[in-house]
Amino acid sequence: MPPFAPQTPSQEFSGALPAATSLRDRQRASAQSRRPAAGKRIRAGRALYLTVNIAVLIFLLAPIAIVVVFALNPTPFIQFPPVGVSLRWFQKFFAARDFMHALVFSLEVAMLTTACATLLGGCAALAIARGNLPGARIVLAVMLSPLMLPAILTGLALFQAYVLLDVGRPLWGLVAGHTLVTIPYVVRTTLAVLHNFDLRLEEAARNLGASPGRTFFEVTLPLVKPGVLAGAIFAFIVSFDQFPVSLFLVSPGNETLPITLFNYLKFDLDGTIGAASVVSILLAFLVVLALDRTVGLRAYVKL
Amino acid sequence: MSASIEIAGVSKIYDGGVRAVDTIEIDIRQGEFFSLLGPSGCGKTTTLRIIAGFESPSDGAIRIDGADITHVPAHKRDMGMVFQNYALFPHRTVAENVAFGLRMRGIDKQAIAAKVKAALAMVELSGLEDRRPAQLSGGQQQRVALARAIVIEPRVLLCDEPLGALDKKLRQQMQFELKQLQKTLGLTLVFVTHDQEEALAMSDRIAVMNCGRVEQIGTPVEIYDQPLTRFVADFIGDTNIFRGERVTSDAGPALAAGHGLFLALPASAAGTSLLSVALRPEKISLSSGDTETAAAASGARGTIESTNFLGGAVLYHIALDSGHRVLAQQPNAGAVFVPGRTVKLDWKAADLVVLKD
Repeated sequence: MPPFAPQTPSQEFSGALPAATSLRDRQRASAQSRRPAAGKRIRAGRALYLTVNIAVLIFLLAPIAIVVVFALNPTPFIQFPPVGVSLRWFQKFFAARDFMHALVFSLEVAMLTTACATLLGGCAALAIARGNLPGARIVLAVMLSPLMLPAILTGLALFQAYVLLDVGRPLWGLVAGHTLVTIPYVVRTTLAVLHNFDLRLEEAARNLGASPGRTFFEVTLPLVKPGVLAGAIFAFIVSFDQFPVSLFLVSPGNETLPITLFNYLKFDLDGTIGAASVVSILLAFLVVLALDRTVGLRAYVKL
Repeated sequence: MSASIEIAGVSKIYDGGVRAVDTIEIDIRQGEFFSLLGPSGCGKTTTLRIIAGFESPSDGAIRIDGADITHVPAHKRDMGMVFQNYALFPHRTVAENVAFGLRMRGIDKQAIAAKVKAALAMVELSGLEDRRPAQLSGGQQQRVALARAIVIEPRVLLCDEPLGALDKKLRQQMQFELKQLQKTLGLTLVFVTHDQEEALAMSDRIAVMNCGRVEQIGTPVEIYDQPLTRFVADFIGDTNIFRGERVTSDAGPALAAGHGLFLALPASAAGTSLLSVALRPEKISLSSGDTETAAAASGARGTIESTNFLGGAVLYHIALDSGHRVLAQQPNAGAVFVPGRTVKLDWKAADLVVLKD
C-alpha cells in the first residue's frame, strides 16, 4: 500500500461512526470529516507525482534509447522507425583497429587517472577535514576550481604549458590533465563522508589500544571508503568520456575513444558511432557493477 | 588489576580562555565506583576525557597507582571506556567489536576467541556474535560497548553517560547490572552523569561539579544529607533553602529569614552573620494544626497551594504565613491534604544544614 493512501477508504466520507472504534480511529475520522476533500486531493497529488517522475525518467533515458536504436538499426543513417535489428555496426566497431586501439588506450588512461585522482583527492579531503590547516577553505576552493572552469581552458592551458616545457604530449601529461578535472569529484564525495564521521569511533579505537596509524587503517579508512569509492567511480567515468581536455593533449596515433569517435564523425555518420556509444555505456556500467561486487558498495551507499 | 587514579590540580583552558576544568583535585580509590555529577557544561566530561587521554590538561597531573601518565598517549593507557552513544564500529560484527582491543594487544587468535566468548556471556549476549551493531537494540549495543571495554581487563573503566539513551526501565536494569559487574570484577569505575538519582543509587563516592570546579566530594549519604554548598543542596534532590541573618534568641541561635520567619539553628551552626540553610522536604512533617504539638520542634504555619501525588509519597507546595514557599514531602499514609488547607509544619533544628554560598 502506498504510504500516503488513506488506510480506510470506505469510512472516509461516511458521517456515521461505528460504535466501537478506537480513540485514534475516531480522531482520524473527525479530522477527515472536517476536510472532506482530503482524499481527492491526495489522489490528484499522487497522479501529479507519478507524471513528473515518469517525465523526468523519459527525459534522462530517451537519448540513451535513441543511441541503442541507432546502433542496432542496419541502415547507415539515423532512421525512425528502425527497419530491423542487426549487429553489423558492432562488428565494424570491433573490427576497426583504430577504435580498438582507442578503446584500450581510453581504459588505460581512465584507470591511471582514477588511481591518481583517488589517492590525491582522498588525501586532500582528509587534510581539509582534519588537518586543522590554516586557510582550509581556500585550499578546498582551489581543489574544486577545475569543476568551475570550462574544461577546454584547462586543456588549452596544459597544452601551452607542455609546449613551453617542451615535453611533447606524453601519456603522463594526458593523465595529469584528466586527474586535474576528476580530483574535485573525489574531494567532494570524500568530504561528505568525513563531515558525518563520528570522531568518537576513532577515540574508541585509541582507547582500545590502537595507535594513530592503526586507528586510521582499522577504523577511519574502512568508514570513509564508500565516499572515496563513489569519487573513484565518478573519476573513472569522467575520464573515460573526457573530451575537451583530451582534445589538446592526445598525440596522433594515441587517441582516446571520444577523440577517435569525433574524428570519425567528421567524415562518416553511421551506426558505428552508436555501437561505440553502447559499448561505452556498458563498460561504465560494468565498472560500477564490478566495484559493487568486489567491495560491496551497496552495503554502504544506497545507489 | 584495577588501579587508583589521582587527579592533581588539573585545569583545562580552551583557546579563548574558557576554563572548562578549573584546578580540580580528586583521588579515586582502587575498586571504587566513583561518579562525576553535574549539569551539562560543568566540566565532568572534559575531566573524563583528560583521564582517558583524549585531551591534555593545561595544568596539573594525572597519576595512576602513583605513576604520572599526564603525557602518555591514549592508546597506551590501558583504560576501558564506554561512550555516550556507545561508539561501536559499524563496519564490524559484535564479536569483532569486542575482539578489537585484544587484537591491538597482539593476543593470539584462540585466546581472543575464548575471551570474547566469555565477555559476551558475561553481558548475556551469547549468540549475537555475528550481528552488526545496527541490528541490535539500544540495550544490546550498550552491553556490547561494555563487553568491549572490560574484555581488555582495563586498569580503570570510564563511562560517559552510558545509560543516557536508554528508557527508564532498561536504565534501571542496566544500572543494577553495571554495579554488579563492577563489584564482581573489583573494577575502578569512573562514571559521568547528570542524573543525580543514578549517581546516588550507584556510586561509592560522588564528586559534584559546577562551572569546572568540584563543589563537594563524598558518599551519596553525605552529599544528600550534608551538602556543603548551596549549589549541591539545590542540584541534588528537592530542597528548601532559606537565607537570612544569624540572630541569637533566648532559645539559642536562629536564622531570621525575613517577614517574621525565624528558624532555630542547630547548636553547631557557627559562622558568619549572613547564611543559607537547606531543609529537605521529607524532613518536614505536616499536621492539621488543630492540636498543638510539643513545642520542642521548630516550625511554621502555611497553606497548601498544590499537591503532587508521587505514588509512594505526596509532595506539597506550601505557602508559609511569612510568604516563603516551601516543599514538603510526606509518605503516602492514606490522607492527602487538599489545596487551600491550613497546615502546621514541624522539623528538627538538627535537620537544617548550613551551606556555604
